[in-house]
Amino acid sequence: MTDTAPALAPPPPELDRQLAALTPCEIVVGLPTYNNAATVPVIVAAVRAGLAAHFTGASAALVNVDAGSTDRTPELLAEAGMPCVLARHEAPSVERAAVPFHGVPGRDAALRSLFDVARRLQARVLVLLEADVTSVTEEWIERLVRAVWEAKADLVTPAYVRHRYEGTITNLLLAPLVRTLFGRRLRQPFGGTFAVSARLLSHALGHPVRPTTGRDLMDLWLTGTAIAEGFAVWEAWLGRRHVESRTRTTDLPTMLAQALGAVFAVMEQDEELWLGVAGSEPVSAVGDHAPPSATPATVSVDRMLGAFRRGLRDLIEIWELVLAPETLDGVLDLDARDVLTYRFPDRLWAQVVFDFALGHRYGVVHREHLLRSLVPLYLGRTAAFVAATQASDGAEAEAALERVGAAFEAEKPYLTERWR
Amino acid sequence: MSPRPPAGRDWYKDAVFYEVHVKAFADGNGDGIGDFAGLTARLDYLKDLGVDCLWILPMYASPLRDDGYDIADFYSVHPAYGTLADFQKFLDEAHARGLRVIADLVMNHTSDAHPWFQASRTDPASPYADYYVWSDTDRRYQEARVIFVDTEKSNWTFDPVRKAYYWHRFFGHQPDLNYDNPAVRAAMLDVMRFWLDRGLDGFRCDAVPYLIERDGTNCENLPETHAVLREFRRVIDREYGGDRVLLAEANQWPEDVRQYFGDGDEFHMAFHFPLMPRIYMAVRLEERLPIVDILTHTPAIPPSAQWCLFLRNHDELTLEMVTNEERAFMYYAYAQDPEMKLNLGIRRRLAPLLDNDRRRIELLQSLLLTLPGSPIVYYGDEIGMGDNVHLGDRAGVRTPMQWSPDRNAGFSTAEENTLYLPVITDPVHGYQTVNVAAQSRTPSSLLNTMKRLIAARRSSPAFGRGTMEFLRPRNQRILAYLRQHGRDTLLVVNNLASASQAVELDLRALAGCTPVEILGQTRFPPIRETPYVLSLGAHGYYWFSIERPDGADEPYGIERTAI
Repeated sequence: MTDTAPALAPPPPELDRQLAALTPCEIVVGLPTYNNAATVPVIVAAVRAGLAAHFTGASAALVNVDAGSTDRTPELLAEAGMPCVLARHEAPSVERAAVPFHGVPGRDAALRSLFDVARRLQARVLVLLEADVTSVTEEWIERLVRAVWEAKADLVTPAYVRHRYEGTITNLLLAPLVRTLFGRRLRQPFGGTFAVSARLLSHALGHPVRPTTGRDLMDLWLTGTAIAEGFAVWEAWLGRRHVESRTRTTDLPTMLAQALGAVFAVMEQDEELWLGVAGSEPVSAVGDHAPPSATPATVSVDRMLGAFRRGLRDLIEIWELVLAPETLDGVLDLDARDVLTYRFPDRLWAQVVFDFALGHRYGVVHREHLLRSLVPLYLGRTAAFVAATQASDGAEAEAALERVGAAFEAEKPYLTERWR
Repeated sequence: MSPRPPAGRDWYKDAVFYEVHVKAFADGNGDGIGDFAGLTARLDYLKDLGVDCLWILPMYASPLRDDGYDIADFYSVHPAYGTLADFQKFLDEAHARGLRVIADLVMNHTSDAHPWFQASRTDPASPYADYYVWSDTDRRYQEARVIFVDTEKSNWTFDPVRKAYYWHRFFGHQPDLNYDNPAVRAAMLDVMRFWLDRGLDGFRCDAVPYLIERDGTNCENLPETHAVLREFRRVIDREYGGDRVLLAEANQWPEDVRQYFGDGDEFHMAFHFPLMPRIYMAVRLEERLPIVDILTHTPAIPPSAQWCLFLRNHDELTLEMVTNEERAFMYYAYAQDPEMKLNLGIRRRLAPLLDNDRRRIELLQSLLLTLPGSPIVYYGDEIGMGDNVHLGDRAGVRTPMQWSPDRNAGFSTAEENTLYLPVITDPVHGYQTVNVAAQSRTPSSLLNTMKRLIAARRSSPAFGRGTMEFLRPRNQRILAYLRQHGRDTLLVVNNLASASQAVELDLRALAGCTPVEILGQTRFPPIRETPYVLSLGAHGYYWFSIERPDGADEPYGIERTAI
């Protein structure tokens, strides 16, 4: 990166006082919050139990970065019975009104504040949790922290035990794309929870701050940078992920535009992280791998196919601008009338996503429109996945997802040749 | 053999069919007769048109006294059309494009040149002696009508070789097979296996009501005939996995045709013969009653079954399934020149029948593509080809496809006088004016309109699978109906009149919804409790998709955990 923007603004004096009382601190537990009073007690209880059971004697502190809660979330954390640093970050008011899919208005700013505080506390490990993920257990803390604590890993990302139809944006879009870009098969590149070493923190903070794009790029940039710069990236199997949130958006177009928009933005800003990468490899993992569960689900293939058909009807003029002619032909040839015969080939899906990445880069359509116009295609691909795996067990569903990832990887030259 | 399109047990319910005669479509070897090589070379055109399945007329070895419906060898391709290898290449190329193919199969009879008949007539001791229906008298089965009244006096013809009469429901050179003979049934199943093994997607079965004869009956639609057909279906389903289709040609009233679907265990599809002339009547009378009446009196069919709809085909526009009064009106309206009549029908193509009125042609195509059933487009009607009533029998509607204004309409490089039939040259419908090349380059051409209509039909499964509910507005010139399948609701409104019309539709059941015109994607005003007023230009039509207000909020079941 060549930007020379200034580093973080100096912290307020009261933060200095809080830090002085706690430094040095070996394990920092970061918790960005926004109106999470209902769930933070559960999180803190798991953190305390995990630290007591697995890291006895280590100095530890909770660092809360709040986006302007009005429900006393920071106060609850201060009274939670463990050393605590309270910080705030500036979150755009629009994100406080319509909270992004990850639940933290201004997440990039929150993470930058956290990184800075963790470095000032001289932390060996910063573990980041989500304030509304209530399925966190003491084992999560152990699995996230252990490899960094023992200097085996610099970044530990999560893997969750999920139903095969949970995480369809991640499984069918984000994970295959991130795998193809960075060459590592991470299951949850937008997992929200991770652990990071002092070494990687320091490296990240050495990079100048970039002007904000209105999108949250830090998670993905950190992952890409860690891989590209040779840091050890691991994965931790954590179990089920249960979110209790009244604020996170569940609007699919918004979720997809935010998450994929972040990937596309990183692709543009940090070409050096991915353009030269070929192939992929799995990452080391702690915890027990579990295939997706295959219990029955109330997923409506018909409705998804209906949305895809409406897309064919309503968005064709946008797709004509975004998709290459042969990709568009492939999409038009999909026969979505009969769910029994309907298929969406992996290779075609990869080309669709890459065409959207290229369309985003070259600005062929207003970018928000472009991202949202992918939704019916994503629903069409998801419908095909559900239809093809309804009678399968979890292992077969996982194999189907692996084929998606492999197809993205095989098509990477399609992307890079057109990118240059 | 290339893979067939992805299996779907009832693919035919969504399909648009295209009827094509091999000899008439494109000549690949320059001998003046269309062939499989030519047809194969034109598959991209058909793919681009948007059809899903081709129905090819009989391509078997034949003396061609009835244009191939007189088969002399079920196991070979007529040499003028190519070889078996040419057929296979055509089939594979079609499949490679996602197009399915069904072929005509004449089950009821063979040519009198067929070796089975020759053996049957010459050697009463041969295994083929009972392959046909022989009698010492021509007095049996007197109740059976003569179908080709213009040429045949009786259903019996005396054979001087066997010195007996043989039974034929059609021409005298087409002896009926004897389906009471198990060997005939086994032989016909072997014929079907031969073509299905090559990948064929099914058969259009010709003249199926007449397979079995019984004294004291009219020898049509007999229970024994249905038993034979069910036996065939059972074997084909068992041996070929259930996605091959059998389409019945049974020119009968709907309640009789209904029997050919059985309990979903006989034919997959059957033509709706009585609907077709009533579409023409409704447009000429400018009132909806004929169409509403016949569809209201059409019995329900099994869930797996489907009607096949058509405007025109390779035969005369048949008027067997109308009353005498209706037939008189149809002759008056559509066949004032006696040359245009043939048997109980009218031998003309779609465009000339409608005086080449583009608005009426489009309206009829709108009806074809939106009424309940799977539509069949007859080759050339997508560009408005004309006919030549001065050619004999039904040849006038089987002339060469008009591809371009070049010599022989781009159909063949042969000398003009060696074409199997002359191309249409009249000033209105002639190939210089009406051809694929010109219409491809004209955005508003009939061809491009047909492409748009067929593509629009793909936008919802309700076109092929939806229920049918007629609306009954006061204005009788408007034919309006709702088609519903799952959450998809379509509203189709047709103006049968040659003048603009206004109509008030009672759409209270859809109050709060918004009609979105499918072809132009135009949102119309929302539906309220009050009558919904529409105005339509002469022979205008609207295809609306009904957008429900809650449509966007309906959950998919993946939202909460999508990331």
